[in-house]
Amino acid sequence: MPITTTRRRLLAGSAAALALPAFARAQGAVKPRLTAISQWSAGSDGAAITALGKKFEEKGGVWQHSPVPGFTTEMMNKLRAQIIAGDPPACSQLKGPEIAAWSKIAPTVDLDAVVAAAGYEKVVAPDLAKLHKPGGKWIALPLQIYSTNMLFLSKRGMDKAKADKIPVTWADFNALAEKMKSAGMAYPLANGGTRPDDGQKFEASFAGISPTAYRAAIMNLDKKALEGPEIKAAFAQTRKIADWCDPNVGAQPYAVNLKRFVDGDMGMLINGGWAQGVLKNAGFKFEDYVIAPGPSDNGKPVFLLNADAFIFWQRKEADLQAGQMLMAQLVMDPAIQTMYSQITGSIPVRTDVDLSGEGWSDGQRRTAAALKDAVASNQAVLSVAHNMAQENGLTAAMIDVITEYVKNKTIKPEEAVTRLADAVEGAR
Amino acid sequence: MRDRGFAPSRILIYVIVTLFAAAYLAPLVVVVLNSLRTNEEIAQGSMIGWPQQLAWSNYAKAWSGFCVAETCAGIRPYMLNSTLITIPATILSTLLGAVAGYAVSLWRFRGDNWIYGIVTLGLFLPQQMRLLPWTIVLRDIGLINTLTGLVLIHTIQGLSFTVLFCRNYYVAIPHELIRAARIDGAGFFRIFWRIILPLSSPILIVTVIWQFTHIWNEFLFGVTFTTGQQQPVTAALIALSAAVADIPQYGVQSAAVIIAALPTLLIYLFGGRYFVRGLTAGAVK
Repeated sequence: MPITTTRRRLLAGSAAALALPAFARAQGAVKPRLTAISQWSAGSDGAAITALGKKFEEKGGVWQHSPVPGFTTEMMNKLRAQIIAGDPPACSQLKGPEIAAWSKIAPTVDLDAVVAAAGYEKVVAPDLAKLHKPGGKWIALPLQIYSTNMLFLSKRGMDKAKADKIPVTWADFNALAEKMKSAGMAYPLANGGTRPDDGQKFEASFAGISPTAYRAAIMNLDKKALEGPEIKAAFAQTRKIADWCDPNVGAQPYAVNLKRFVDGDMGMLINGGWAQGVLKNAGFKFEDYVIAPGPSDNGKPVFLLNADAFIFWQRKEADLQAGQMLMAQLVMDPAIQTMYSQITGSIPVRTDVDLSGEGWSDGQRRTAAALKDAVASNQAVLSVAHNMAQENGLTAAMIDVITEYVKNKTIKPEEAVTRLADAVEGAR
Repeated sequence: MRDRGFAPSRILIYVIVTLFAAAYLAPLVVVVLNSLRTNEEIAQGSMIGWPQQLAWSNYAKAWSGFCVAETCAGIRPYMLNSTLITIPATILSTLLGAVAGYAVSLWRFRGDNWIYGIVTLGLFLPQQMRLLPWTIVLRDIGLINTLTGLVLIHTIQGLSFTVLFCRNYYVAIPHELIRAARIDGAGFFRIFWRIILPLSSPILIVTVIWQFTHIWNEFLFGVTFTTGQQQPVTAALIALSAAVADIPQYGVQSAAVIIAALPTLLIYLFGGRYFVRGLTAGAVK
């Protein structure tokens, strides 16, 4: 039989041959792609997100990260613009109660299946998990955790004051600060004067005095707790802290005082675990200081939680959907969380990561231990200074009152209590 | 001849002016000095101090070295982006402003004052208020995340200012000039090109300086309506300085700030003497 090939058949055949690779790509072998926006652009934050992107690419994905330099407001402007334009990023950095608030603006991805497959829920602190599943479904994934109330003690400062005991309660802390002052230290505390720094001074005082009252007043906005004796005591403690800080710091970050801290001209610093990464980058050694949980009047560690997370926005494109699944798996992966935290100085979200190995510092181990203990005794609460306890508007109203109180020493603690309660009333 | 050098009042004036100049120049001196100090030197000492050795590497790092997340290209690509936004937007807004200012000042028509009032109203609207409307406009015309979109924004928003200034300048031009030209048969645009524009250089220089500086230094729109590699130089500067979780990189930051300020500085140096002249030109009739 002679082989007769019509021109039409030939054309159809070659067209099919040409189309075949494209067809194969569309079927399962789609290359995962991720569009992401975050405010992480510089320093260890920039390095960490870059490392995460490399891992994403190693798994065969296309990483399209667009950093939005600046603070949360800029990133939210950008996110809002992208959502209105009908082009939300496949995933974006967002944290705390903002996750619930933003999830009402645009449809998010239901991550329940992939979270269940990874068995992730069992290894996340319950209060934290709640923030990432508003309405009962996982739509965002926490990536790393910081405690905002770690106590840093300068070795040389302790020597100067002839002190060797790590303070446990606020009474211990105050005694040590006085001791440092009488040893010739003009300002025993090395904190800065930014808004979050002032917020941290207050939240560390409040949660350290009573985590129960803190939860009721700051997290649940309970009217009675907002005017209770604990919050007044917290403002009184905040005033002591403010008096021990150098007023000349103005609105600069604490980092400008690190040299004086390490030299022992300032003995203590209350700050997040990230300060450790900063000290390291500035060329100071782990031996120069000790990190311990912040003062707690009942002796058990209080953990003021700050956690960074990614929220996932619904996209129709197959490659973006595949990218979202890959990203979710990576974010939950203990090896990735280890890599990330070792760059930024945070601790992993997963409570089952072993921090005894190399690459972790004592400070990180203590932070992780403090989290475990605090969760066990229900003393892990959400930070207001870092936008974890309330939405932006309420947080801003509260920090306004707190930062004014820290800087204006004529305001009495009882006055501050009234002002804070009024601010909350006005903003809700 | 009177020797004025020793007049007490004159000495007093010089002392006061010198003090003011010193106060205004102090921050610049700190920035210039820090741009030549290493980060270690600043972090371990104080923010104010003489460089121990001149760290010119800060400038190299600022120009083409530091990283914004994955991209380690320094300030250079962002300078180019800002140039691509600023130059067209400055030219367009100045020219359109001149034509519109000329129309509302010398070609009186019904409602001209209303139009002028509405256009200049834009000066009083806060930027944040305009963010959302612009988002919708850029979405609908498909220019979101493009430099063209930003040129459009800055051209239109710049009109409030350029129309205000050009109109106030042209009001002082005698109407007889226009009438005479019309009798000779010149139309709207011919009069503009032949008569008005040649008279306008002081005010055009003022608007160019003003527009250039504002567009170059703009951050909010620049960061909201661009993505990744298209961001303007202000975004790169913020990326370099807004790392709350890190020790401030004062050395490289200072160098980057100086580089980023150079274009506006040059514009002022070349056009500066026209600036005050142009501003006051319409003031005394």
